[in-house]
Amino acid sequence: MANTKEISRYGQSISVKNANLWYGDFHALKDVSVEIPEKQVTAFIGPSGCGKSTFLKCFNRMNDLVENCKIEGTFLVGDTDIYGKIDVNELRKNVGMVFQKPNPFPMSVYDNIAYGPRTFGIRKRAELDRIVEKSLRQAAMWDELKDRLNKSALGLSGGQQQRLCIARSLAAEPKILLMDEPTSALDPISTGKIEELIDELKQDVTIVIVTHNMQQATRIADKTAFFLLGELIEYGNTDDIFTSPKDERTERYITGRFG
Amino acid sequence: MIGSKTKKTEKIGKIVFMAAAIICVIAVAAIFIFMLVKSFPAFAKIGFFDFVFGDNWSPDRLDTYQDAMLSGSYGIFKMIVGTLAATLGSIIFGGILGYFTAVFIVFYCPKRLKKVFSSTVNLLAGIPSVVYGFFGIVFLLPLLSNLAPNNGSGLLATCLILGIMIMPTVVSLSKTSLEAVPSCYYEGSLALGSTHSQAVFGTVIRAARSGITASLVLGIGRALGETMAVVMVAGNSVAYPKSLFNSFRVLTANIVMEMSYAGEVQLGSLVATGVVLLVFVLIVNLIFGLISKKAIASEVSGKGLFAKIYNSERLANNKVLVKIKDAISVFKSKIKTASLGAGASVVAGVLSGAILLLVIGFVLVKGVPSLISNPHLLFGKYEFDSEQITILPAIVTTLMVVALSLLIAVPVGVCTAIFLNEYSKKNNVFVKIIRGAIDLLNGVPSIVYGLFGMITFVALIGGTSSVLSGSLTISIMLLPTIVRSTEESLKSVQDSLREGSFALGAGKLRTIFKIVLPSALPGITSAIILAMGRVISESAPFIYTAGSVISAIPQGYLDSNATLAVALYRLSGEGWYINEAYGTAVVLVVIVIGLNLLAEVIAGRINKKLQGEK
Repeated sequence: MANTKEISRYGQSISVKNANLWYGDFHALKDVSVEIPEKQVTAFIGPSGCGKSTFLKCFNRMNDLVENCKIEGTFLVGDTDIYGKIDVNELRKNVGMVFQKPNPFPMSVYDNIAYGPRTFGIRKRAELDRIVEKSLRQAAMWDELKDRLNKSALGLSGGQQQRLCIARSLAAEPKILLMDEPTSALDPISTGKIEELIDELKQDVTIVIVTHNMQQATRIADKTAFFLLGELIEYGNTDDIFTSPKDERTERYITGRFG
Repeated sequence: MIGSKTKKTEKIGKIVFMAAAIICVIAVAAIFIFMLVKSFPAFAKIGFFDFVFGDNWSPDRLDTYQDAMLSGSYGIFKMIVGTLAATLGSIIFGGILGYFTAVFIVFYCPKRLKKVFSSTVNLLAGIPSVVYGFFGIVFLLPLLSNLAPNNGSGLLATCLILGIMIMPTVVSLSKTSLEAVPSCYYEGSLALGSTHSQAVFGTVIRAARSGITASLVLGIGRALGETMAVVMVAGNSVAYPKSLFNSFRVLTANIVMEMSYAGEVQLGSLVATGVVLLVFVLIVNLIFGLISKKAIASEVSGKGLFAKIYNSERLANNKVLVKIKDAISVFKSKIKTASLGAGASVVAGVLSGAILLLVIGFVLVKGVPSLISNPHLLFGKYEFDSEQITILPAIVTTLMVVALSLLIAVPVGVCTAIFLNEYSKKNNVFVKIIRGAIDLLNGVPSIVYGLFGMITFVALIGGTSSVLSGSLTISIMLLPTIVRSTEESLKSVQDSLREGSFALGAGKLRTIFKIVLPSALPGITSAIILAMGRVISESAPFIYTAGSVISAIPQGYLDSNATLAVALYRLSGEGWYINEAYGTAVVLVVIVIGLNLLAEVIAGRINKKLQGEK
């Protein structure tokens, strides 16, 4: 179906060199370089305002929506320069995103999931049915929701809404999934479900997640990057970062002495 | 599959929205340029000072700008005083009534009645001004004539009618600011042992007072620009309002009385009258804008202009003021403000309810029988020589105007709002100018649009009034409201939904049409229905653009005919067709009330659907 040659040019790894970003005069990201491997979970941690969400939004060019935002550096997804001559909408189809607050559209569960595929021209009911079921199964929600596909998505609980948003992203069959503090508005049980889901998903999808919760990073992430004041302080395997951090600032943060 | 084709549609979409915004700007600019160009020669010839402060108004139709000497005199000071007096009187009556009614609704009204009561007060705001004027003629003037040396017309009648008209505005805004006061004030006061009334009048109203002041300012703006109702009860002689019962004239009346037969200089001075009126309205709106900028909430938290004045230390330390304040508080403690205020609120609430019932009830009771006994009025065929009036042509005209004006104003207005809200950057100077201009246009009194339409559209389209000219005139007048309310509804759609759509790879157009517009639909729909109500209610812009005579059903948009509201104005003015006027008023009231209810129901239903109720 959607896997035409043009689309499949996006790989599943991310490579960033010397990224700098300004909001007006504010220098929000300073010389960040990072290599994110495919089909693994990479966590961005750091205190509020350190630039981790900003950095995440560079990968699907959501920062384009922000006025006065200036970006420099090379951002490669697979081998494709995403700030070069590309179709932004196509990039965002391949690099999905889940937001901090669940943002289901004011329409039915079914229409929410089908929104992405329909955007890219899939109109046949049978095809859409298949995608909706597959995405909901992937998000482990099919049994919960199969009887209320035509009910409004706004009637779901907060945790269900967020998992629905994940399913909605999956319906576009992304190569990479960006998650911006996806559990910060949820209760522990819903959080647990989403973490399980992330663990399943990484078999097919590269996941980059911003989190404030350091236990969450240790639980789910293969790689962890620590940001402070717009700089990438330390990046490596999660175990190494949390057991033997090389930088003193990382150690002070993960032991809870500032931030 | 995606790519170039999508990009092309995106581009076309943007161009369409931008084109709408440009049309909007041209319309706005046309009005202002018209007012400047037409009034400037008059100001220059007559002299600004002589025009504004001269108290002799006796225009000569034959005066032209080429004449060395004007044979007429063009001073509008009497009308300025008339306008100010009428505004002051109406704000005293309508303001006090509205203020206490708001307090009544929020704090004293039995819970079951609360919703019904506040939506009926809102209904009062939608009733056409000609209906109020008609009510004035058939009910108030005869009543007042018992006290008055004349037929009852004059300042008192004007203030009462205007007061009733601005009361709903004052009520709804005061109510909002009272409801915005955090409940902890009230609870804190109760916890210190206050009674309900002491808590209300001691703390809650103090916290809301600057918001309430803002509502009064808005009421002033409405009173200044009102035309038809005032024309019908003020008497309209060029004179100072020396007593409660002498015939006097306001600025808007000056325009509507003379525009149809005005000579060159006279017409210029009528536009200049409009400019003076606009300046008054702008001053009021500016004050209101300063207050309402951060909305009433900030007033409540003490940041707005009036909050600053109330809380200013310099004022607090001024000895005279302190003495006055002490005197007032001694007086207050003697008369027990709280219980007095409670009493006043209940009285005001009952009074407002009674007035509402009186206006609507009187019209219905007198009008329905005349409609039933005279089916010719509603369904008859117009005959040139007949004594029998039929308003069917007026109904058809009104429908034609509604259809065409909405067909023009809704797409342009909605697309402009989309351009402003979805495509333009927040601090873009150009966009700021458009917004400012649209706000300005909102303050232009409706009679000025009528004047504009008469001089431009009517002159361009055949030289006589036509349904087309009337529709074009009213569509320009509708633009600001439609743009503003659409923008409000677009703004209320959370950005997270837009982001969610973009993040799934949807383009701008898809996001707008599939996500943003559906969410904003309740707001936009009710704005359109209210716009419809406005077209039906307005009369001042139509008299000399669409036509003022009830004749045969218009065969096309180039024919001329009176709309329903204009028909009511004509019928009630002539005195011979009072029963027919009652019938017309009933039709108007029923349509407008129906539309208001429809707006409420539709907005409610779509909202429910969006919220995900089963």
